[in-house]
Amino acid sequence: MAWAVPGLLFFLVFAVAPMVGVLYLSFTHWDGLNAPQFTGTANWSRFFGDSQVWQSTSVTGVLLIGNIVVQAPISILLGVWAAGPQRNRAILSALFFLPLLLSTAATAVMWRQLLDPNFGLPSKFEWLFGANPMGTQQGAIACLVLVTTWQFVPFHSLLYQGAARAIPHTLYQAAAIDGAGRVRQFVHITLPQLRNTMITSTIFMVVGGLTAFDIVLLLTNGGPGTDTAILPFSMYQTAFRTYDYGYASAIASFLLLLATAASVLLTKLSGYDKMTSTMEGL
Amino acid sequence: MNSVSRRWFLTATAATTLSVTVAGCGSSGSSTSSPTGNVDFWTLQDPTNTVQKAAVDTFNSAGKGKVSMTVIATDGYKDKLRTAMGSAKMPGVFFSWGGGSLNDYVTAGKLVTLDTALESHFLPSALAAGKVGGKLVAIPCRGTQPVFLFYNKKLFADAGVEPPTTYAELQNLVKVFKGKGITPFALAGNASSSWTELMWVEYLVDRLAGPKLFDKIQGGDWSQWKDPAVLKTAQMIKELVDSGAFGKKFGSVNYGAGGTSTLLNKGKAAMVLMGSWEYATQLAEAPDFAKNGLGYVAFPSVEGGKGDAANVVGNPTNYLSVTTSAAKQTATDFLQTTYSDSYVQGLVEKGEVPVTSNAAQYLTKAADPAYAKFQYDLVQKAPSFTQSWDQALGLTLGTPLLTEIQKLFNGQSSPEQFVSAVLAIKK
Amino acid sequence: MRTRPNYLAGAAALVWLLIIGVPLYALVNTAVQPQTTYTDKGPVSIPDTVTLDNFRTVLDSGFLQYIWNTVVVAVATVAIVLALAVPISYAVVRGRGWLTKGVFRLFLLGLAIPSQAVIIPLFLIINNLGFYDTLWGIILPTAAFALPVSVLVLSGGMRDISNELYEAMALDGASPARTLLTLVVPMSKSAIATTCVFTALQAWNGFLFPLIMTQSNDNKVVTLGLYNFVSEYGSNVPALLAAVLMSAVPILVVYLFARRALVAGLMGAGGK
Repeated sequence: MAWAVPGLLFFLVFAVAPMVGVLYLSFTHWDGLNAPQFTGTANWSRFFGDSQVWQSTSVTGVLLIGNIVVQAPISILLGVWAAGPQRNRAILSALFFLPLLLSTAATAVMWRQLLDPNFGLPSKFEWLFGANPMGTQQGAIACLVLVTTWQFVPFHSLLYQGAARAIPHTLYQAAAIDGAGRVRQFVHITLPQLRNTMITSTIFMVVGGLTAFDIVLLLTNGGPGTDTAILPFSMYQTAFRTYDYGYASAIASFLLLLATAASVLLTKLSGYDKMTSTMEGL
Repeated sequence: MNSVSRRWFLTATAATTLSVTVAGCGSSGSSTSSPTGNVDFWTLQDPTNTVQKAAVDTFNSAGKGKVSMTVIATDGYKDKLRTAMGSAKMPGVFFSWGGGSLNDYVTAGKLVTLDTALESHFLPSALAAGKVGGKLVAIPCRGTQPVFLFYNKKLFADAGVEPPTTYAELQNLVKVFKGKGITPFALAGNASSSWTELMWVEYLVDRLAGPKLFDKIQGGDWSQWKDPAVLKTAQMIKELVDSGAFGKKFGSVNYGAGGTSTLLNKGKAAMVLMGSWEYATQLAEAPDFAKNGLGYVAFPSVEGGKGDAANVVGNPTNYLSVTTSAAKQTATDFLQTTYSDSYVQGLVEKGEVPVTSNAAQYLTKAADPAYAKFQYDLVQKAPSFTQSWDQALGLTLGTPLLTEIQKLFNGQSSPEQFVSAVLAIKK
Repeated sequence: MRTRPNYLAGAAALVWLLIIGVPLYALVNTAVQPQTTYTDKGPVSIPDTVTLDNFRTVLDSGFLQYIWNTVVVAVATVAIVLALAVPISYAVVRGRGWLTKGVFRLFLLGLAIPSQAVIIPLFLIINNLGFYDTLWGIILPTAAFALPVSVLVLSGGMRDISNELYEAMALDGASPARTLLTLVVPMSKSAIATTCVFTALQAWNGFLFPLIMTQSNDNKVVTLGLYNFVSEYGSNVPALLAAVLMSAVPILVVYLFARRALVAGLMGAGGK
């Protein structure tokens, strides 16, 4: 239908065309000043032999999994708790919303200061942060997970809160009559009903994990060394700090590939293309 | 879906995309402007901006053309500049670190060769990094910034020690301060500040092997990294780190931002190896300390080294270049402000030590004449002044080098691994 | 429903409150102290001297301009996204045939595509269109990358409108345009709200696009302004954190005036 055309064209020009462009540039050598020169598969042979790329990929994966593993349980528990009717929960929920007021860059800048080992939180809470939080790979990754969790759990818990509120009471009442306790109700009713939300939440976390660039740039700059140089950061570094746009495009193409695969996998798993509802049968 | 129409659809998209992309590559940087039109002047953000602004205002009111100044913060300056130089919106005059950072622009034909008559107004050693391939493409616009040791006078007085003149004394000081629970040297070990660690490497290599080693590397002989002096430097650094010279937390410390400068003025660290701008930083954060408590001394000699102990590393100065998109007459006239009396005086007032031939007479009027004289003498007497390696090499080689240096300091690479990793940067 | 208070959950909630609250306290605490004394007692103490000078410093450096720019970007991006995504979703939900299914698949595919990956060619395109160093250079790509999520959410919302209502409109002789405006849009208000909130937040948080696509001070947005402040106020940490605080003001304003809409919009992203 003609309705879709303007949006489609817009998307093609500003999103799809650049994707094709990236693929094209990965076969060239370009330094940003002169015209790109076609170099065939030179970048790609270098890419497959580059241990840095594999390190970047694995760090990206580790961070992604770390974030999901930490954020999902906290968000689910917080969200379900906040969905309850008690008064104090509403007040506390409003407080929990505060981190969302800050943009990701603002949060990263704030934590950059707060994590200073001599004058920030680690100087007073050394038992929690260690003396040199960002000096080791584990420490730096932990810091990144901490900051990302701090920033985004409020968002994800909101998703779960909304979904939890929509769970019909009848289900719980029936279970209570059957003698199910709080924990069993949670595991057998709440969690399954939140299935769609879990998938949406995971999709957001995956997208976030593949793009979380500003936090890394501002907090660790890919360090120590290259220990937290996630793929988007590696690409940025190669393009804008060493002016090797061709090779950076190879990295970017790889990132695109991963992201597309993730997209396909997640939409298939979630059945979004068919759009089933959890309300069925009620 | 009909396979024929789908294929057509995708091909049409691809074709459109490619033509848009390819068309984009060729047409950057072309713009015509009259010789006396307006000039866009880009400069780095720092305390001398007020002096530059004054010069711009004076120039504008003289009516020979108009210059508009844009100030850009350090963190993104080089990226921004590079991106703009490849686009249709090149600045007309811009601030740079000279040396390798200008190579690419010269090769791409973006810079205007300057009149050699300008050379007589500046100190020869400072002009060196403004020439690429023998052509003058940049002139000094700032003071010189040698790197040397700053120290907290009170901490030294309390400990009853003097600043080091030899490396052995330096190692001894590490023990003394460590024993008192004070971090001997403040160091910004966070990955965004690894240029502070570079300074240590520069000095040690220079002290051990002299300036010719890096000269050859800069000239293109990358295999010079195999020289034993490099390995020895890496080993000395490992010793320093292991002996606690930098404390245990430096891996998370940032430069500036409540980091190294604060450590020094709050008495938590005894010394810091930094460029001469540290004075201005301290002046802004802790004026009393800067005026009364801050001491400075040249980097010590290293026993058995071939390098002259009077050699200096750092930024010889910063430069201004003119691009092909500038209104040539206006830009060239504007460049003359860099050696005008009012400009030089303004720089001196900000604690800078200008490298113009008329600078000496103004130094007595500096806010801290002793400090100014110290730097001027240091630079004047130095047999060689090596430019910061990341500036001299350009970012394509400099960025990976900085990463390797950071890994060495952080203990992630052994000295041997450091050498082989650096060698691998350029094949 | 449960009537016994859940002590474990309550305790956990308090722990989380500390996790949220302590850093925020440290933020405000440092922002109101003068530069020379903020390190004296540590980040979580009660300050001796309190000052508002830092906020003045930040304002003096043109911070309001950055906030204004960010607001402009957010509003424009939302407008473009709504103008484009609503018709697309309508077409996708009501249309039949390979083209509409293909379009939907295309947008689904674009869901996880990171905008950073295509920044290099995007820069070329924006440059060629003459939008380099203008706010449009940020608005256009941000809108484009916000389309997949928006189409997803909007089509989900529109799908819930039952067929009978469409048929009723058709019986009335309503054109597709009228159906869209008088039936679909009002009935998908929550999906539209979600799209607005989402896209606005995307624009608000945007960092890489402004970093690459703009250069002059006049066109800076808040995220970029903060990035610059890190090096500009290198040693003036209280001013830096004051800037961080001030960057939250616009969303705080929205929160105070439109809390329900904001929260509902965010919740709605979860789908049903």
